[in-house]
Amino acid sequence: MLRAEHLAKRFLQGESWIEALQDFSYDFPPGITAIVGASGSGKTTLLNLLAGFLLPSEGKIYLDQTCLSDLDEDQRAEQRLAHMGFIFQSYFLIPTLTALENVAFPLLLAKLSESERSRRAAEALAQVGLAQRASHLPSRLSGGEQQRVAVARALVNGPEIIFADEPTGNLDSASGELVIKFLFESRPAGSSLIMVTHDLSLAARAERTLTLRDGKLVADSATSQVQ
Amino acid sequence: MNPLGLVIRNLRVRSVRSALTLIGILVATASMVIFLSFGEGMRRAVGDQIAQSGAPVQLIPAGQEGIGSGMPEVPAEVLPKLDGLADELGIRRVIPTAILFRAGADPLNSFIFQGIPADIRPDEIYLGLEIAAGEMKLDPGEAVVGYRVAQRHELEIGSPLRLSQEQQVRVAGILAESNGLGDSLIFVPIDIVQSALGTQNATLVMLQLEPGADPEVVAERIEAEIPEVQAQTSGDLLFYAGNILQIVNIVQFGISFVALVVGGLLVANTVLMNVYERFAEFGIMRAMGAKQGFVFRLVLLESLMLAVVGGVFGSLGAYLASIGMNAYTIAQIGIPLSAVTPRLVLFAFLVSLALGVLSGLLPARTASKIPVVEALGRV
Repeated sequence: MLRAEHLAKRFLQGESWIEALQDFSYDFPPGITAIVGASGSGKTTLLNLLAGFLLPSEGKIYLDQTCLSDLDEDQRAEQRLAHMGFIFQSYFLIPTLTALENVAFPLLLAKLSESERSRRAAEALAQVGLAQRASHLPSRLSGGEQQRVAVARALVNGPEIIFADEPTGNLDSASGELVIKFLFESRPAGSSLIMVTHDLSLAARAERTLTLRDGKLVADSATSQVQ
Repeated sequence: MNPLGLVIRNLRVRSVRSALTLIGILVATASMVIFLSFGEGMRRAVGDQIAQSGAPVQLIPAGQEGIGSGMPEVPAEVLPKLDGLADELGIRRVIPTAILFRAGADPLNSFIFQGIPADIRPDEIYLGLEIAAGEMKLDPGEAVVGYRVAQRHELEIGSPLRLSQEQQVRVAGILAESNGLGDSLIFVPIDIVQSALGTQNATLVMLQLEPGADPEVVAERIEAEIPEVQAQTSGDLLFYAGNILQIVNIVQFGISFVALVVGGLLVANTVLMNVYERFAEFGIMRAMGAKQGFVFRLVLLESLMLAVVGGVFGSLGAYLASIGMNAYTIAQIGIPLSAVTPRLVLFAFLVSLALGVLSGLLPARTASKIPVVEALGRV
């Protein structure tokens, strides 16, 4: 389980400090958690901290018993590889690799054999309905297809935590719906899906919604607690 | 797909840029190998020529670095002195030789006449010479011509050759091709050359020794006994030639080093541009769990691949160019002047490898240190 304790993040902008996130504490249980808030509310900063892309100015992040913020760059990368999957608004597929190779990439990092990588990547692609597009480069896929490849890539190593940052932000509603369907249905049982979104109707389908405002957690739908 | 496959795929996607960089490395490596191949070739040619010499000790005028192209300066009085020392030092034969260089407007129309005693055959002082037509021996007024000279000037048995206004000889023998200095010489009786030059001096004196005589000891004694001359053994000649070639090699490497630096900068520039273009790609790799070392090795491998492939093809190109150049120099002077030896190819390969590593270090480090949030535009 992922746990944040009194997280704070400050950035120096010009000569003044910006409080991007303040005193954020939360235990992310298995299931779907949506994080909503206006632009600049601290959603992306929170996701960057939870994923270990950034180190907090204050506070701690625990993945089970491991304190992520005490680890170095490579150790945090190991944790991401072993426990996390990522979906970004801009897909971020590797342009020189085919759909199948993109999905297999995390398995290459995990040093699985070539045959095992191909088998598992093909299964993951089939799960998102793109088996027939396996040999296509990203440039030959539509936006919706690219995001489904990204979903397959995020899920291929059976992560415990999946981060999705505006997963439908660049898609039309039909493509977005398809991506969400595969994401929700294909994620491993018992995993946590932490999803940042502006789309309130999408957030409404999550099991709990956290609302951020000015870097502070102001509402948690699971407890109906408003701060 | 493995890291090597990723590198190859990336280089192929940017094929024009990769090809141009490869050509840059290829030209840099080829020019270095060609430059250095002259040193190797000359070392080999000098060694071969000295090995072909039938005289282990040669005497030149004292204070002179080598054989001069001007008037002969070994005085005739030296010869009786040498005869006097012959028994004591184990000198089997004293062979004075005079060289006349008759230059034409075109270097190809120049002639080198080597005058030797009439009782000496050319193959006694240049080992390995064989006669192709006529006779090997020199009778008065006759010449034995080298293969290349005969080819170039279409000489036949009986053809006249003029040394000066008064001195003329007829071709009595034509040598077979030996790929040595003998191919470019015209052997004539020494008195004709001396007469043409108006002197009784010799350009150099060659000494043939009895079996068991030590050339170094003979050389040392002669220099002590006859101060007018300086004695050189084959070892001395190799040593002098080696020193000169060493200097030539350093100069050549200095010139080719500039080409190598340019090649290295090309690789560094290409790989660095690739890194900047693929900022997001490396960011997503790191986001998915790639360690810094993985990204570092990926970029370094790309640089190494460019440098090594360019180096291998550059060496191959230099080898082909060397064959072409040797065909030319053999046709002109009878000696192959370029040699792409295994040690030179190995050296070029190691230099390419070093070039790849050095030019890839900075881009690789840059790529491995990319902050994920910046690469993904998520600040």
